[in-house]
Amino acid sequence: MKLPLWLNVLFVIMLLSAVSVSCTTASSGPLALASFTENYVGVSIYLEHDSAGNTLLSATFTPPDGHHVYSKDISVNGVMGLGRPTLLELTENSQITALGKLIESAPAQEPDFEPKELLVYPEGPVTLSLPVELPPGNDWIDDQLKITYMACSAYQCKPPVEGKIVPVRIPGAQAFDGQ
Amino acid sequence: MLVFVTGFLLACNFLFPQTPRSVSEPVVPRPTKTGSQASDIPEAAPIGFSIVRLHPEDGDLQTLLAAEAKKAVELDRMLIVEFDATWCPPCRAIDEGLKTENELMLAAYDGTYIVKLDVDEWGWNGRSVQDFRFDGIPVYFKLDAKGQQTGEVIDGGAWGEDIPENIAPVMDEFFHRN
Repeated sequence: MKLPLWLNVLFVIMLLSAVSVSCTTASSGPLALASFTENYVGVSIYLEHDSAGNTLLSATFTPPDGHHVYSKDISVNGVMGLGRPTLLELTENSQITALGKLIESAPAQEPDFEPKELLVYPEGPVTLSLPVELPPGNDWIDDQLKITYMACSAYQCKPPVEGKIVPVRIPGAQAFDGQ
Repeated sequence: MLVFVTGFLLACNFLFPQTPRSVSEPVVPRPTKTGSQASDIPEAAPIGFSIVRLHPEDGDLQTLLAAEAKKAVELDRMLIVEFDATWCPPCRAIDEGLKTENELMLAAYDGTYIVKLDVDEWGWNGRSVQDFRFDGIPVYFKLDAKGQQTGEVIDGGAWGEDIPENIAPVMDEFFHRN
């Protein structure tokens, strides 16, 4: 059966529109940079856009069941030596520029135990996001990030990970925005 | 034509998935060592029990434990190895219970000879701690008169929140059964 010309044209237009929408939607998802599990905590690091279109460098920390990680705001040496902060940091020579402070997915809260200043996140995964500016251009470059955390339950702790250097390959701003 | 369109869309979604895409090799997990300052609690508690802390520079762990086992036997005390760390809030809570001479804790620890090993010094399931295996601290291993593990182990999971009212009865049972 031979279709009329106008119907063929319509099909082609529909096809191009659908492909365009599909591929554009796909690119709005997060871009995974690295993931690892160390000292019983899973960490995934990725780039994403927030609802306003800003670029966020994010890390999700997933401690074991019944465990928590500690607030990003406690000292790097903990409170009276106890605990360690949860941190996602740029390294000194990073080509990524921070545009703000770390944003936490859930507010830290006072623990049930002493010292009360040793703020903890609720049990389960927590995500820290850093507003960033990627280096200009379309090229991908090698970079490094720094990760710190420690997981504990009410009665037991896993060893801390402090200042772990994580190699990542990041896109230039145009490459990331254009996807 | 419709089949072609559908196939093209599926291919596009497959090629450009909306889930995170990995662009670098996963980082291989490796053990982390942290710096710390040892915060020894008193070498010997005033009544009923002993606490000593061993350091790797003192020698091979098994040799050291055999020596401590002899001392424990001479004092007629139960030899226990505890792994702890300065950054561990539950470990600190237990030490505080002893330092403040909480009666429940003192009674539970009565008759014990505790050998403390800091995981920052000794490692975590590493070669230097031989066949002591654990996945969290604090953790306690019961040893025999020769300094060998009896197979009896206890950790914070046995008592829940770290308050003397929870810890002491469980520790008492662990330390004094048999």
